[in-house]
Amino acid sequence: MSDSAVAMERTRPNINLTDHAVTLIIVCLVGLVMNTVGPAIPLADGFVGMVVIYLISMVGLILTRFAPFYLPSVAWISLVGIVATLPWTPGSEWIVAQAKSVNFLALATPALAYAGFAIAKKEIEVAKHSGWKLALVACLVFLGTYAGSVLVAELILRLQGS
Amino acid sequence: MNALRGQLELWRLHLAVIILGAIAELIGIQKISFGIGAILLLPLLYAFVMAALMNPNVMPKLGKFIREKEVKAASPLIVIAIMPFIAKFGTTIGPAIETIIEAGPALLLQELGNLGTIVLAFPLAVWGLKMGREAIGATFSIAREPNLAIIADRYTLKSPEGTGVMGVYVIGTLFGTFIFAILASLFASSGLFDPRALAMACGIGSGSMMAACTGALTEVVPNMKDEILALAGASNLLTYATGLYAGLFIALPIVEKLYNATAGKNDLATANKKEA
Repeated sequence: MSDSAVAMERTRPNINLTDHAVTLIIVCLVGLVMNTVGPAIPLADGFVGMVVIYLISMVGLILTRFAPFYLPSVAWISLVGIVATLPWTPGSEWIVAQAKSVNFLALATPALAYAGFAIAKKEIEVAKHSGWKLALVACLVFLGTYAGSVLVAELILRLQGS
Repeated sequence: MNALRGQLELWRLHLAVIILGAIAELIGIQKISFGIGAILLLPLLYAFVMAALMNPNVMPKLGKFIREKEVKAASPLIVIAIMPFIAKFGTTIGPAIETIIEAGPALLLQELGNLGTIVLAFPLAVWGLKMGREAIGATFSIAREPNLAIIADRYTLKSPEGTGVMGVYVIGTLFGTFIFAILASLFASSGLFDPRALAMACGIGSGSMMAACTGALTEVVPNMKDEILALAGASNLLTYATGLYAGLFIALPIVEKLYNATAGKNDLATANKKEA
């Protein structure tokens, strides 16, 4: 475990960029398989798209590591993806076109597979111990949060009349 | 190249993800229609279920190929596997920047809609199910990592409040994608709401919840796919930025006050009786 790319991350507050670079390549290759099997996007197109996605992720990680203020890596990666594709960014049209060859749902499939493999004994215990009451409350928490956001957004959109 | 060797040692895990993922992708999106709407089943849901069935902690008898070593390594890999997904979402936001700005007020204010959990879940927990202080942790937020941190900081995770937030967190981890796929399917197929509003609400949870939610939504309204992805992605980014503060300064104080003003009084009364 000690030399696994991700085991080290826990003990080290700073991101190990080399480890992440390697692990991300593997994850992107897995994603590329999904992208080819499911949405049936030609492998060559998907490959170039995936390289673009990989580079955006890496720039985001580099910023997470070296930026003067802290933001979670996902926030940085998202921001890099946005800036790279803004209409007034040079070359953005090409990046947008390449990224279109990567299906977002195909990328989520491996993430959820890893999540299924990651279920720990403790989580099963917590779920069993919490029982049906907390499960019921949790469902209402999700419903309430989602419905609340939908209603506010709907209201504002209607007020704007758009 | 320690990193590469470390990952290659996990070949069982990566191979299993590729095989199960490919099977899930081949099954594809399935639609179950019934009276009031339709529920969409997505490849990411099958992938999660199949992986869970191979997990030795879930199915001790089936779990031979994946061992405890792989289980431990899989957890931090989720975060890395979600990065390309987030990057892809980012690339849908840039080209749609005008749509985002136009929807700016709605995007910002819908964050306040997250307080809907208090309206719906708190009464059930406290009055319906007679829960104690667990209700505070359980109902103040959607219980993702930043919210765990708030409760851990204020009460510790071993307190009743900690038990509450952990319970919802774990249920969200295990079933969140299903719940969001169902919610989005039902809301979208009802035809009552603007798909843009439904898309913004998809961004309130974790990355995988957003995936399930937008996946279901784009199936129902395929002609608005680009707009849906952009708005959900922007909302999710906003949640990272505001979620912690909204939980700490708005949601948690409200729930605490509500609890102390209602059920808390009973707690005090019973405690006094016991002493007397």
